Amino acid sequence: MALLQINDPAAAPTPIGIDLGTTNSLVAYVTTLGRPTAIFDCDGEALVPSVVHYPEAGEIVVGREAQALAIAHPRDTLVSVKRFMGRGAGDAETRRLGPYRFATDEGPVVRFAVAGGRVVTPVEASAEILRTLKENAEDELGKVGGAVITVPAYFDDAQRQATKDAARLAGLEVLRLLNEPTAAALAYGLDSQKNGTFVVYDLGGGTFDVTVLVLDDGVFQVRATGGDTQLGGDDMDRAIAETLLSAMGEDPKGELAPSLVRAALDAARAAKHALTDTDETVARVAAPGRAVHEQTLTRSALDALIAPVVERTAPTCRRALRDSGIALDAIDGVILVGGSTRVPLVRRFVAEMFGKTPLDSIDPDQVVALGAAVQADLLAGAGPRKDVLLLDVLPLSLGIETMGGVVERILPRNTAIPAGAKQTFTTYADQQTGFELHVVQGERELAADCRSLARFTLRGIPPMPAGMARLELRFAVDADGLLAVTAKELTTGKETNVDVKPSYGLTDTEIEQMLIDAYEHGESDVARRNLAEQRIEAERILFATEQAVQVDAALIEGPEEQAAIDAAIAAVRAAVLGEDHRAIATRIELLDHAAKAFAGRRMDRAIRVALKGRSASELARETDHARGIEPHLGAERAAEVAVQDERSAEVAAQDERAAEVAAQDDRAAVSDARAEVPTTEQRGAAPRES
Amino acid sequence: MENPFDILGLPLRFDLDPQDIERRYRDLQRAVHPDRHTNAAPSTRRAALSGAVSVSEAYRTLRDDVSRAEALLSALGHRANPETAKPEPELLMEMMELRESLQEARVAGDARRVDGLRSRVAAERDTTLAELTQQFVAVELGRAAALVSRLRYYRRFLDEVAGFEDEDTHLGSR
Repeated sequence: MALLQINDPAAAPTPIGIDLGTTNSLVAYVTTLGRPTAIFDCDGEALVPSVVHYPEAGEIVVGREAQALAIAHPRDTLVSVKRFMGRGAGDAETRRLGPYRFATDEGPVVRFAVAGGRVVTPVEASAEILRTLKENAEDELGKVGGAVITVPAYFDDAQRQATKDAARLAGLEVLRLLNEPTAAALAYGLDSQKNGTFVVYDLGGGTFDVTVLVLDDGVFQVRATGGDTQLGGDDMDRAIAETLLSAMGEDPKGELAPSLVRAALDAARAAKHALTDTDETVARVAAPGRAVHEQTLTRSALDALIAPVVERTAPTCRRALRDSGIALDAIDGVILVGGSTRVPLVRRFVAEMFGKTPLDSIDPDQVVALGAAVQADLLAGAGPRKDVLLLDVLPLSLGIETMGGVVERILPRNTAIPAGAKQTFTTYADQQTGFELHVVQGERELAADCRSLARFTLRGIPPMPAGMARLELRFAVDADGLLAVTAKELTTGKETNVDVKPSYGLTDTEIEQMLIDAYEHGESDVARRNLAEQRIEAERILFATEQAVQVDAALIEGPEEQAAIDAAIAAVRAAVLGEDHRAIATRIELLDHAAKAFAGRRMDRAIRVALKGRSASELARETDHARGIEPHLGAERAAEVAVQDERSAEVAAQDERAAEVAAQDDRAAVSDARAEVPTTEQRGAAPRES
Repeated sequence: MENPFDILGLPLRFDLDPQDIERRYRDLQRAVHPDRHTNAAPSTRRAALSGAVSVSEAYRTLRDDVSRAEALLSALGHRANPETAKPEPELLMEMMELRESLQEARVAGDARRVDGLRSRVAAERDTTLAELTQQFVAVELGRAAALVSRLRYYRRFLDEVAGFEDEDTHLGSR
């Protein structure tokens, strides 16, 4: 650490990248010189173990200190809590080898029973880790801006939403949920500057992802991804621990003292690490209340124990390659990510599978956070690099359960995102005014074998004879990989309400309550924070809109449109002076509506320029209700963009110049911390008809 | 409703160069992807999202042989004829026999036989693709539509084989 950082209080907050890992977490940022850098805590460590300890009384402990308390307090110290994120209380993970006590085995959320009579969800525990990372970052950087948080590429919607919820609880604005392999590829790609096709093999403590990517002049395009969200180093530890426990005369599948289980798992992990560099080691199980058990473990014995775990990654790799449409010999390189890829057997396996010596020049423990920091900088920073774009894919097929429990696929896996699809339904009974739909994620034929995502209740269908109604459902997946559903009854043009009931996870009310509880002064603090955040958001939007209107005055059609936009701007300004954050939010929505056609024309021009002067295509879009994609942007009704005639080359050149200026202005717009506004409509419920 | 060829700015033909489709997709996303408009007003960002979704959908349609052919038929004004849309009985018989052979081979764990069946169907698919290109060039849309129907069957078969190879690792090939 060289120079003393003199923090300029007027400087813009620094966006950060966070790797919220199963075993270890890390926060990083991009320096003013453009270098992605990890943040170290006051002990000089970058990695924060993802361990949270809940004492009988007093402050919650996170990290290495918590780890040290794990054996003495196995039930109150949560390790690898990521494995429980987005899972229901009855999930299989709760029955695998582990020391925890669960408050219930039913319900949409896992609940740990810990010291002090507390019941804690994985979201809350993860929020503690995120809070610690945020504080470490603030110690280093002063004001911290938005965060890009990484998730396994194969995380489903519920697991992603849980991650967002944890960030919200920790007081972090989420710029993007970024897939871990893509983040790693970003770090490597920027480092090497070489175009090509790469495979990222990411084996962490709890999750496995494999991703096939193409890097082409700054565009990182994911072609296919696959994985297993419950496969990783922890499973290797379990296999080893079971051997140790058997050798100690214990039944690994039976009732075991939690402290013994934790001690065995710790010993297993330590032995596994040691065997990376030697051929033989002594595993040492030191459980309280019994004699220390020592056992020699050789490298070959280890390999035999963990081979089944590693083998499980093979079919996933093959399928991802096949889905990508890229031949094995067209792969230019393989990147290793995640601590478990240090295991010699894993390296051999990867080298054999892909016929290449894997790349690991960037520390596999840090590479994901560094990539996240780069993306954070791209999305919100003032950095110089604007020529990089990440194009990711949907990792799991999305479908609807139809009659007979069969899944009708709406969006197949590896669809490029953002993505959308439409499906039309009709009613079964006369005068039927609503029905239920079940959305699932996964590749199996039957809905029961897939992951239940949400149930939608459609209401407000105009009463009609059976089979007459035309209910068009639009599914949209945003850049975070999150789903939003909107519905319209086509014969009447009426929008129906879509009530989303997620199958897993915390409700908005529960989160609001947690937020309120976290503040000493409860509700009034939350209200004050909402107001402050909305005001900042409003200022940012006013600035951007006024800039756009100024630069592209020529694209405004007629005095009515100008007047409408001006009036909407004035309304937002007035609301900012008031005390009602919801009023500000509503006025922002109205401004959005007034400026929509104008925005469509500007985008159309950008596309024309990209197509180099070709005549513009009709960009007829009917994206209803983007609510859920970016909660604080509000609803929209898309306009039809008129067909443009072929323009002369001169006018096209003019477009190009104007577009350049506009793009520059957009970049130069002041980006204050874009606060994530917690709204009660965050999950995709459609607004009432106005 | 515009067609995916127009969205990606590509000519209305069947045998597009896959590299062209890729390049065009990436070029357009560079312009329109929401991440390129993070500092813009929400209406701009919303338009960007719409645009990105359109571009993604067009890319998905054109990349796949069957959906590209269907999109081309539609763009050229071809209306599906329920008569010619019915699959040929010979094709149905052929597919049934192939599927039976596949099941037998799978149960017997005969990787060579599975692979042989796959190669055979892949070859038929390739022949059909070549014919299809010709029919499009000759603007014989009715004939083209029938060939697309064949393609669907072949594709379904090949997907099934690939699925088995995922699960039955002893059948898996690189």
